[in-house]
Amino acid sequence: MNAMQIANSMPMWIACGIAVVLVIAQAAIFVKKAFEAGPKVGLTKEQMSKAVKSSALTSIGPSIVILSGMLSLLISVGGPMAWMRLSFIGSVMFESIAAGIGTGSVGVALGVDELTPLALTMAVWTMILGSIGWIIFSTFAADKMDKVQKKMSGGNSAMMGLISTGAMVGVFGSMVAQRVVPMNKNALATVLGAILMYVMMQVSKKVPALKEWNLTIAIVAAMVIVAVI
Amino acid sequence: MSNQNFYENEYLPQMHKIGKLIGVLAVVCAFLPALILGLVYGLWPNPSALAVCFVSAASSFAFLWFIEPISYYPVVGPVGTYMAFVSGNISNMRIPCASMAQVSAGVEPGTEKGSIIATIGMGVSIIINTTILTVGVIGGQAILSALPESITSALNYLLPALFGALFVQFGIKNLKLSGIVLVLACVLYVAINAGVFNFIPGASNWLGTLVCVFGAIALNVVLNGKKDSKKEA
Repeated sequence: MNAMQIANSMPMWIACGIAVVLVIAQAAIFVKKAFEAGPKVGLTKEQMSKAVKSSALTSIGPSIVILSGMLSLLISVGGPMAWMRLSFIGSVMFESIAAGIGTGSVGVALGVDELTPLALTMAVWTMILGSIGWIIFSTFAADKMDKVQKKMSGGNSAMMGLISTGAMVGVFGSMVAQRVVPMNKNALATVLGAILMYVMMQVSKKVPALKEWNLTIAIVAAMVIVAVI
Repeated sequence: MSNQNFYENEYLPQMHKIGKLIGVLAVVCAFLPALILGLVYGLWPNPSALAVCFVSAASSFAFLWFIEPISYYPVVGPVGTYMAFVSGNISNMRIPCASMAQVSAGVEPGTEKGSIIATIGMGVSIIINTTILTVGVIGGQAILSALPESITSALNYLLPALFGALFVQFGIKNLKLSGIVLVLACVLYVAINAGVFNFIPGASNWLGTLVCVFGAIALNVVLNGKKDSKKEA
């Protein structure tokens, strides 16, 4: 068996499938619990179904970007690993770098040379060892961070709100600045996405039915314009 | 105040228990493909080469293992943290979905309602993402060859546009804060790209987000803290 046949073999599909099932199960459990808890903290059914709808709409664009990333990873490390890694822990950038480091250590340039079974093994181990730090730290620190945040805000709910909205502006500000600063086509796409979103927000004030499509329309239009230029 | 008791005393402790259990299972599951390679095909890594791989991967990513959960925690909350790091794709998908879910449900981040809505938003995005990837991996090569190159290259612009749009969505409510944060963030990234922080290992990967998140939190408290505490009183 060559490396690609091993990478795409049934035992690999099963091993990777178990991890994907775990991710889906976790999401399903947490969503179910959140739906049960919602009414007890004063959320209406309507608010919760609106949340489902808008999140579903927002997911589609990024999912397609991740899909195209998976298709390129699929060529280099096989279907099962690409599928598992992008459903589980990973991000496109991390996985291709980690896979490249792994195969490189035994002299195989990822995507250039033919994959050997040893190179595949090195890539798989590097992707795993390089990423479990995220799960271990976040799993064991989540409840501690909860306590720290409560202490920082002194149990003051207005302060909790300030921390969260500030963090959100910080996250998106950082993402925007990172893409705008190189002044390339990505920067143009970022700026256009921002302008079109502003336009859509104004338009949907007059046409409320459009509101939940604001984001989708703005980003798809910005993408098409930049691609055509 | 029975609501508060329910959230703090029943909901959260149960979520912590489930989150930790799944986190441990996730670590075990992560190794399954590597064990299959070893047990079924007799392929084990070369230990010294693996040590080198681990060190080079860790030198670029180890800071992120700690910095990302800390930076994203104030946005996604405790339950979101468990979900986000098992499923990955956090800044490009989980946070946008959690935030948009909060907007359309009309709840504020950092509140109990906000945290529950964010959990629903992230969970839905995970289910959709894994479904699309599963369909994609089955159709795999066929889809890849069917997509013209113009489309695959256009997709590169989708995420930048998404970040720009989201920044407007959330920044417009607080123009002063978002304006200052954006200007400072741009200055910071110019400095990072110019190599000013190269003496810190891996800084280009994590420094920007960390400084922006905690800088923005501090600024928001300074700019809007007084106003809010008056309202509270």
